[in-house]
Amino acid sequence: MLKIFKWWWGIALAFGLLGIARMFLPLPFMNEVVIFSIYALACNFLIGRVGYISFGQPAYLALGGYATAFYLVHFGTNPYVGILIGVFGGLLASLIIGPLFVRLRSDYFAMVNLALAVIVFYLMQKVLVSITQGDNGLWFLTRIDSTPILDLTRPGHFFIFALIVGLAVWAFYKYLDDSIFGACCLATKLNENKLQFLGYNNFSIRLLAFVIANTTTALAGALYAVYLGFVSPEMASPSRAADPVIVTLLGGVGTLFGPIVGAIAYTGMKDVIAKLIGNWELFIGFLLVFIMLVADRGIWGTLSPALEKLISRKKNSARGERDD
Amino acid sequence: MSLLTIKGLTAAYGEAKVLFDIDMSVAAGQIVSCVGRNGAGKTTLLKNIAGFLTPTSGSVVADGRSLLGMMPYDIAKFGIKYIPQDKKVFQDLTVRENLELGSYATKDYDWEQTLSYFPKLKVLMERKAGYLSGGERQMLMIGRAILGSPKLLLIDEPTEGLAPGIVTQLREVFKELSRKTALVIVEQNLPLVCAISDKVYAIRDGRIVAELVDAISVDMCEGYL
Amino acid sequence: MISTQLLISGVIFGLSIGSIYFLLAIGLSLCFGLMRIISLDQLLYYSLGAYFTYSVNLLTGNMWVGVLAGMIVSALASLAVERLVFRRIYARDPTFSMITSFGILIGGIGIIKFFWGVVPRPVEVPTLLQVDILGTEVPVYRLMVIAIAVCVYIGIWLFLHRTIVGKAIRAAIEDVEHVEGLGINVSRLFTLTFVIAGALSGLAGGLHAPLIMVDPTMGLETLAFVFMVVIIGGLGSIKGTLISALLVGQVVSLGSIIYAPMAQMAPFVIMLLVLLIKPTGLYGSPVFKR
Repeated sequence: MLKIFKWWWGIALAFGLLGIARMFLPLPFMNEVVIFSIYALACNFLIGRVGYISFGQPAYLALGGYATAFYLVHFGTNPYVGILIGVFGGLLASLIIGPLFVRLRSDYFAMVNLALAVIVFYLMQKVLVSITQGDNGLWFLTRIDSTPILDLTRPGHFFIFALIVGLAVWAFYKYLDDSIFGACCLATKLNENKLQFLGYNNFSIRLLAFVIANTTTALAGALYAVYLGFVSPEMASPSRAADPVIVTLLGGVGTLFGPIVGAIAYTGMKDVIAKLIGNWELFIGFLLVFIMLVADRGIWGTLSPALEKLISRKKNSARGERDD
Repeated sequence: MSLLTIKGLTAAYGEAKVLFDIDMSVAAGQIVSCVGRNGAGKTTLLKNIAGFLTPTSGSVVADGRSLLGMMPYDIAKFGIKYIPQDKKVFQDLTVRENLELGSYATKDYDWEQTLSYFPKLKVLMERKAGYLSGGERQMLMIGRAILGSPKLLLIDEPTEGLAPGIVTQLREVFKELSRKTALVIVEQNLPLVCAISDKVYAIRDGRIVAELVDAISVDMCEGYL
Repeated sequence: MISTQLLISGVIFGLSIGSIYFLLAIGLSLCFGLMRIISLDQLLYYSLGAYFTYSVNLLTGNMWVGVLAGMIVSALASLAVERLVFRRIYARDPTFSMITSFGILIGGIGIIKFFWGVVPRPVEVPTLLQVDILGTEVPVYRLMVIAIAVCVYIGIWLFLHRTIVGKAIRAAIEDVEHVEGLGINVSRLFTLTFVIAGALSGLAGGLHAPLIMVDPTMGLETLAFVFMVVIIGGLGSIKGTLISALLVGQVVSLGSIIYAPMAQMAPFVIMLLVLLIKPTGLYGSPVFKR
């Protein structure tokens, strides 16, 4: 790995680019991209590091979103507290669900999570209709307080806030990747028996990974809720179950910048395709099949080796034999 | 004329080379044994012939037809049957059903002949194969394979873990079988090998180090291990 | 106390729903058992079956012709998908096939929206006759659905235990390589199994059409229940699938008598309980081959 890809450079570069892009691209698009990349980071961690493919991410997204919404509708008006409540809701939910789910084999895990997404969808749409207002959703945009310094009710300020949060989450995952814990996660994915022989407990490693990833997802949900000012069961809709998985695959599984690249590409395509042909499912479905069959390294996974080569060649010519 | 001719066969698992430049020939009606230590590449050799693995280079020709690029089931249908070491019979199926599957591909129903080798299987016909003993399983595996009257049987460690009585029985069966079909046997049991083989190949670290044809004795074989 | 009449109609309702789930889940379960794939696109064939039942019923006025047409179309669609997509991914991890087939399912929903639009379509029940069972009027159509599912179960059982191809499939569920070693073309077995699964999913869709509204996302709505059926029964087990389909059918039906919104939640709770005790479902094998 090259020095230039040392993470603080990469991170600054990536988010700096996002900041610059903000000047050229519409703000809603940028906000969507940042939230989506937080959403996808968690999914990327689960797939790439733990080997768990979860189609149930929308469930945790919705749990986070609704927890924030409940607070903002019934109890308070401070958006920061709302987001914290959302994160806490996700943490609580994944602590309850986690011990049961992480015992499962990866194929069962994927199926059970998708079932969970559908159940949460029903829960919000039909069962708890008295609290959630069903398909109408909960609206609280006007109830959110304007806060000093960063006023989350203003999209411009929200973008800066989301960018900071995204940066923090990204750095956190980078840190996890490099830690012993990250290595353990990777080891459970590759060979769980051997890890046990080394004296690590598979169950607790997976549980921790599960809780971290889903709490992050809930954070993305909470951000969505505050940004849009409303939540609806659509958040947990099973037809969107594959969204984070697609974004992750599109960007490149297990890569550093995959989720961000994927989120930009996905949100961009969504805007363009939805306007052009209006048949989003048709497009995204076959895109997914295409990625799986032909390009399973994703955009970043394909680009980065080429990029590295290019940079290393330049460096070589510049520095001569001093290169690492 | 030889039934099976292997020339310059080289095989690898991914990057790791396992077999180097193997030359081998088996004539019709011969019993050919491969001896060697664990990990010498004997099983890999059989799997390459049977089509479960693809050699990186070299040629495998049987009865004038190249086996390279053929699917395992086509090779089996062509009359070259591989009997793996794992003694895995289809546990949920009865002995009869196991045998039926053996005769399915080649539409050969000479059950009498097959069962004459293993009279014991006759009584076990309706029993689920999962309840058989190790020896009975091996008999079933061999019976299943010879039902299609193969030209060549590739047998991986047939006597491993079996009681001496059954080993003696298998020895007779192999001799009997060799009248109609050629056999390539990978085996650790040297006395058995020496008693039945027409030719012995000693394999060490993925290379053939000796080819013994006449006066095969246990001592000679041991010298090459 | 629930009245007997309500109970009997509830049980019949549950059996018919369970039958539909069974027809769908059996395909998923067989595909997993044999090919180690999680074939979410079965739900697409289910929707296709329902839509062709709707369209052919409009043309000919006979729903059964529609169901037949739906089955044929589903079988052909699954044949194409198997040849074009699944053949390339059998060797990979089951979750890989799950993502891919989810793509096919979503893409297929897009195709359905393109041809039929998003408006839900009703399908007429072929017969409005009712029969009297212990003093309760029960729709004959629901009994027909149950009878068809029973026939399919018996048919599959006979196919797997009495025909040589079926025996080869059972053997291949245990060990694919050994079946190949006997000279049996395994990839043909795979295709056959996949097409059978697709046709049964089409049948399920066609039979379900008169009982619900046919709409593009019907597959996604049923997906969770089929999943729960498969997970409770254990992936790859036919017997387990039958038992858990009947169980889930009854839970949905009787649950809705007691408290309607609970009907959709109850199977999920049961699934969690089963997984708590046995992480591979009631009849799922604990070992994972390949």
